[in-house]
Parts: sequence; C-alpha cells; structure tokens
Amino acid sequence: MTRFALLSLLASALIAPVGLGADEEEPSRPYFNDKEAPENIRDLMKIQESLVSALPRARKATVGVDLGGGAGSGVIVSEDGLVLTAAHVSGGIGKELTVVMEDGTKHKATSLGLVASSDAAMIKIDAEGSYPFVEIDKNDTARLGDWVFSLGHSGGFDKERGVVVRIGRLVRVSDQTIQSDCKLIGGDSGGSLFAMNGRLIGIHSRVGGSLEQNMHVPIREFQRNWEEMLKAEFVGEGPFAQKPEIGKGFLGIRTEDREKGGVRVVEVAEETPAAKAGLEVDDVILSVDGKEMADKEAFSALMKEQAPGFKLKLTILRDDEEIEIEVELGAR
Amino acid sequence: MTKRLKSKWNWARARAPLAVALGVGTAPLAEAQQLEGHLRLNGSQVMEAFEPIRAVLQQSSVVLYDGRKTMGYGVVVSSDGYLVAKASELEKIKKLSVRIDKTEYKSVKVLASTAEWDVALLKVEAEDLVPVEWSEDAEPAHGTWVVSNGSSSRLRRRVRIGIISANAREVGGGKSPVVLGVQLNNEKENLSIREVAENSGAAAAGLKSGDVILSADGQEVAKIEDLQEILSKKEPGDKVKLRVERDGEQKEFEVELRAREKIFEEKESRNQAMSGRVSQRRTNFKRILQHDVMLSERSTGGPLLNLDGRCVGMNIARADRAESYAIPAAEMVKVIKKLREESK
Repeated sequence: MTRFALLSLLASALIAPVGLGADEEEPSRPYFNDKEAPENIRDLMKIQESLVSALPRARKATVGVDLGGGAGSGVIVSEDGLVLTAAHVSGGIGKELTVVMEDGTKHKATSLGLVASSDAAMIKIDAEGSYPFVEIDKNDTARLGDWVFSLGHSGGFDKERGVVVRIGRLVRVSDQTIQSDCKLIGGDSGGSLFAMNGRLIGIHSRVGGSLEQNMHVPIREFQRNWEEMLKAEFVGEGPFAQKPEIGKGFLGIRTEDREKGGVRVVEVAEETPAAKAGLEVDDVILSVDGKEMADKEAFSALMKEQAPGFKLKLTILRDDEEIEIEVELGAR
Repeated sequence: MTKRLKSKWNWARARAPLAVALGVGTAPLAEAQQLEGHLRLNGSQVMEAFEPIRAVLQQSSVVLYDGRKTMGYGVVVSSDGYLVAKASELEKIKKLSVRIDKTEYKSVKVLASTAEWDVALLKVEAEDLVPVEWSEDAEPAHGTWVVSNGSSSRLRRRVRIGIISANAREVGGGKSPVVLGVQLNNEKENLSIREVAENSGAAAAGLKSGDVILSADGQEVAKIEDLQEILSKKEPGDKVKLRVERDGEQKEFEVELRAREKIFEEKESRNQAMSGRVSQRRTNFKRILQHDVMLSERSTGGPLLNLDGRCVGMNIARADRAESYAIPAAEMVKVIKKLREESK
C-alpha cells in the first residue's frame, strides 16, 4: 500500500464517519425474537414480512469480492464504499481487488486492515461515489436464538442467480464467533449476516462438517478493531491471514550513488518487478513514496522495510524529466 | 455425510488459490451459549408452527418406497390417483410402492415421463385423494417461507423448512464434456499422443502413444482447439473418425467418445466435498426456483408449499449444501397437462 493511497483513505474516513457515526433511528427489536419459537402462521408471516422488507437494501449492499483466482463476498457499510469482509478473503493489506455489485457493475478496490485472529477485514472501493450500504448493528443487540438471514455470492458471482439468501437462527454465540444455521458454502466468505431488522450483525467466515456449523465474525469484533483496520493495520496473529514478511520484498535492480543525490540504476534484471514496471538502466530514483533518497544507504534501508506484495511509487529522473513509476514488489 | 471432509473447518471461499484447511480451534467458543436443538431452524418446536402446512403434506404428498426403504417423494395432482415424481430417482426403484396419507398403494403405474424436466407421471387406483392446489400467483419472492417433505414415518409426514433464496432462472451447464481418452504431448507442434488412458474409447480402438492425429471426421486438425471444436458437438457414445500417422504410415480409427469424468478421475471441488449427497440430475432445467430447504438426494420430488399451503413448485434437485431447486408451479401445470395427454 502506498502512502498516497493510505492518506486518501484516512481523509475519506474523516469526511464520512463510516457506519459508526450518526444515522437514522434505531429500529426496534422484532417481537418474534423474544419468543422461544414461532407459535403459529401469524408469527411466521411476521418473520417473512421482516425478511422480505429488509432484503432489497441488504442485497444491494452485499457484493462479490474478486481477487483474481479466488472469489468471496463482502458488504458495503458506508456511502463512500467501505466494505466489510473476511480476512481470508481480502488476503492482506493494500491488495488490489474488484468489488462486484449485484447488477454486475465492477469497482476497483483496495484492502485495508484485518484481524488475523478473528477473520475480520476491511476493503475500500477506490473511486469516490455514492454506494448502496447497510447500517451495522452498532449497539450489539443480536442475541442467541434471534432470527437472522445470510447473504453471499455462493460459489462466486452469478448475475442470473443473484446474491443468495438463507434463513436461520443464532445457534451459538461467543465473544469472537457467532454460529447460525443459515447454510453457507464456498464463495459466501466475507458475506453478510443480518438481523431481521436489516442491521448487519456479522460476516461469514467458515463452515464445519455439519450443516448447522456456519461461523460468522460478530460485528462487535469489527467495532473493536475499527480504527486499526481503517488505518490499514495488520492486527493480531492467527490462522486467517499471514503477516507480510518484512525484508523479503524484491525489486530486482542494482544501484550506485549519484553525486547530486538519488540512486542511479545500473542493472535491471530480466523478469523482475522492476523490469515489469518499466525501470531502465540509468534511471535515477529521486524518491520513494515521496521520501527523498539521498544515497544507496537510504534506499537499501527503505527496501529492508518492504514485504512481497507491497507497492512503491518511485519518482524517477529519466532524460532530464521526472516521471512516476508504480511497482509491486515480488518475493526475494 | 461428512466423511469426506478431511478437516473440521472449511474456508467458505470459492476457488481459493490457497485451499487451506486448517484445524482452527474451538477455544473461543468454550463459554459459548448454545441454542437447544428443538429451537433451531428445523427443530421440533419451530416445526409445530407449520402444522397447517404439514397437514397439506400429509394429504397431498406421496412417499415413494423401494420395498421398505423411502426413496423420495411425489405430488398428488388429481383426486383419481394421478401423481408426479422425479423421474431419474424413480428409475432407481426396483420394487415400487407409494404411500399417501396412511394408505399404501402397491400397484403403481408409471405412465409417462419427460427428460426435459425429469418428471414422471404415475397412477394409482384411488378416489377421493386431495390434490395440491398449484399457486396461481407470481413466483414467490426472495425470503418467502417454503415447506418441503422432511423424513416420513408410515403414518406421519414431517416438514422441512426454508426460504426462496435466489432469482428464478434457467440452470444449464450440465453437458458432460466428451474425450477420446488420450493425453497429448504439449511441447510438440502436432497432435501427437503421449499417453492413452485405460478404459477409454481410444484404447479400445487401438490408438497408441506416439500416434499423430491428422484429421477428425475428415477435417484437418492442426491444433488442440481444432480437435476440441469437433468433439464439443458430440455426446458420450458418439463416434469420431480419426486419421492418424504411425511410423510414417497413415491409418484410420473409429473412436467411441466417453464422458470425461468416466475416463479421467476428476478432483472433487471443495464445494462438492462440503455438500454431502446431491441429486445426480441437478442441471439443465428450463426454469427453477432456488430455495435453502435441506433436501437430500432421496427427498426430492415432493411439493414445495408456501404459508398458505399452496404448491409453488415441485422439488426437483438437491444442488449443493446451500441450494435446492424446484420446478415452478406454472411450469408444473404445463408439464402435467402434457404428460397426461401423452399417457392417454
């Protein structure tokens, strides 16, 4: 993730307080959640009415997340396009992804932070815009036994089929994980779990062997780590994401010092990230991500802080002209 | 149904490049609260609310038996004994009998069937049956409750519940690709055979490693795409005439094509692995309703009812862990009319 992208994301977060700020009146808790079980057709009708009326908005905000080679789901929670998803879907920080809306419209997006221990993650749609979004259950009102519905692009995005909805109850609740009997399958990961009042209460994470083992990250786990994720931080350690390996980032050039400052490229190895990005011999690297490179020492110190997959914006002097080149680092 | 799962948890992401399956611990759940079984979606106390709909299944659904074993369900479509069921599941039954409400019918005639919809028309000698009422409303919206047959006892029908989960649509994609049963040398410019698979049409016809395929059905084939194009129009069991160069001589072979999965073992996808037993015939339907009722491959064929007790479709396939398909009522009315005309 470049410094530029990060700053712009922070700025947008300040302008539109994502999901946590002021919003419309809290909807009331549906009466059927306070019954052990629905007792008659009328109770069932009420559940159906709640679901049918909450669905259109929920469907519009639930998106496909395409990483190229893998596909999951996500859900938009702010008008400016902040997306909650699973850490094993976003796959890291600063990754370029595609967000697919229900009608098939695609938006470029970048992954922000994640919580590796609980599978929570954020993505931000790159382009400014007004996106359909849902409100999160910010008062953490979901309880064991509540009726819920899940949405996701099961098996990957399918425009004809659309997003898939399933019904269930919260069957197991703990601090970091909630479980429902809404049947999930591959591709649903990162998709949305809703209370019947249309508030987002969780994000799909994984399934167990039985059809009743459908696991979700509760929204409170997102709230706890909201600021860190917005700042594109890698939080915690755990099975859902691997920390970038700092020091293993690979560019593929040899450089020498230059009298007037900056570092001169003396060799660009074939098939390396540098070659693919179009770096040439005799280019002079003046700065990286806006940071001036006084000499080779400064440059190699900076490279030691890089991991595979990180992106750098290089300001280059070539034939007396300054140009900018963006390069995604490979692995050493 | 979980035997094939190697690990406790499966990541719910499709086509994950890192198809990891770690044993993620259950430690955070140690202090978890749990909902008792009878209160869960398909728990007994929730089912009680559906009693009026269960009563419709009691009268108007059909249980299919092979001897004593329940093999599937069907729908009563007339008071004088016409029934429908899923044709491909019906074919598996050796000793067919059916039960409607509490009455067993040992003499069942299969009158007609349609491969297009995988529906068969059956007849038992009966009067005063209660047929389903096909819904004449628009197709049910996303989120509408739907009720199907759950496990049955001799005297009692039970329900399984769910909702309409996705857009009604056509499902295609069921055509099985056919193969000769050879592997080609990738590095060579021509279509030279590296290996001939056992049990393949190519092996039966006498093709050998080192043979170079020159033409198929009289058309020259220079690249693999040329060959694929010709094969793509064929069905399993069809034949293709190959002209082949072997040791400097040209020879002709007639090769029977077989379904790819019969020759080359295909790796089961993770989504298939986590879905348990699904219907064999679950593709190529002109129009289906998708719902999330947990059917099994042996619980298709019955009615799909809404909260009014009207029949919005007939369950036709268990597609995967999260998807079941039903033929919409409007289509069923047409199918039944056609089958009854054919059987006259």
